[in-house]
Amino acid sequence: MVVVVDDSAAAVSHYQASARGLEVELRAFRSADAAIGYLRDHHPDLVFLDIVMPEKDGLTLLKELRALPSHRDTPVIVVTSKDYAQDRAVARELGAQEFLLKPLRSREVRALIARYTGVESRSHRGGHKP
Amino acid sequence: MSPCYVRFWGVRGSYPAPFATHMRAGGNTSCVEVRCGDHILICDAGSGIIPLGEALMDQDRVRELAILMTHYHWDHISGLPFFQPAFTPSWTLRLFGPGKNEVEVAEAIAQQMRAPYFPVETETWLADIDYLRPSNGYIEHGPIRIQPFNVHHPGTTFGYRLEVAGRNVVYVSDNELLFLDDPIDRRLVEHDLDAGEHELLLRMKEEEKWSSLQPFLNADVLIHDAQYTPEDYARKRGWGHSCYIDTVNCAIDARVRHLYLYHLDPSYPDARLDSLHHDALRIIRERGSSLRCDMAREGMIIDLGG
Repeated sequence: MVVVVDDSAAAVSHYQASARGLEVELRAFRSADAAIGYLRDHHPDLVFLDIVMPEKDGLTLLKELRALPSHRDTPVIVVTSKDYAQDRAVARELGAQEFLLKPLRSREVRALIARYTGVESRSHRGGHKP
Repeated sequence: MSPCYVRFWGVRGSYPAPFATHMRAGGNTSCVEVRCGDHILICDAGSGIIPLGEALMDQDRVRELAILMTHYHWDHISGLPFFQPAFTPSWTLRLFGPGKNEVEVAEAIAQQMRAPYFPVETETWLADIDYLRPSNGYIEHGPIRIQPFNVHHPGTTFGYRLEVAGRNVVYVSDNELLFLDDPIDRRLVEHDLDAGEHELLLRMKEEEKWSSLQPFLNADVLIHDAQYTPEDYARKRGWGHSCYIDTVNCAIDARVRHLYLYHLDPSYPDARLDSLHHDALRIIRERGSSLRCDMAREGMIIDLGG
């Protein structure tokens, strides 16, 4: 299972379109608080995490996530418009697997999902090409 | 004076600029007082909070205040170790800033007041220290309603939208506007984009823009980062500050009534700020906007009525 945390509806649609055809469940949350509520009881294979969201930001969520014993090693990819060295350092310190700049291309999203979930990244049916 | 007002005590970003060529705007770093009757709210505790503290010690009507910090970079907290009310037992200070809880806020403030950086620790403060706590995303300080929101600046950094005396005052000291434009534009010209992905990227660009504007929408007063000229911004992209042109355009798009250009670059003398202001007014005129725009300066007061 893959979790997306991003306040942008268009970004969430982009992840959903990119994952179409992959045999993976994708759950999206538009706020950090909604996501942490879900993640307390669920253990996805991968989390895509935005930083700047209106209320709680993504790095604060990542810190809270790492404080949960069951999420110390959950793979998290930070995907953000903020290419700040300080944020990269914090994300690395908090064990984020990658720190990538928005917007990702569909093929990148698919490759990352394939790498972290083990599902096969094949050309999907319908939607835009990988 | 009207019972509700905003007063600038420090308008510079980065570091204090106590130079003769800078004195019309002033040399102190970020600090704005919002006053509503006997309720005092201070946005940021840069060096401008030092003269504010001295002014507060000269009166005995009010003994409680709130301080909102946008973040903990030096130019936003460097005045706290010299803020007289903190060292005076009859005062109560209510603090708020980024942090999971009050322990984190207290620690962020305390760090700069420890050896080898400073001789006196926060433990020597004699005022009662309390912490503001949001409820459903809002904080109340007397009649002032405060909504914190995240902005584009390294680390967790807040802007604040205040409702005071029926007016909306938005304080955003550090914010890099339109940061996402270039990466999306670069993606949009990639040769192998199909129509579906192209449309999603366009939607993302539009949504990011409106998401950035959302906290400023219809503000009566917007106090916003306008640190750089386009030339300086090109060299300092990714430092977390805005070019004044982006600030003016965003204020127009967000239908703001009155914009105050703030967090001014400490290397810019008054004459240079005059030319930035002149150019800001040209942009507003050419866009046919009714936006009013001033360069923030120390001592300037915005009357909120009330």
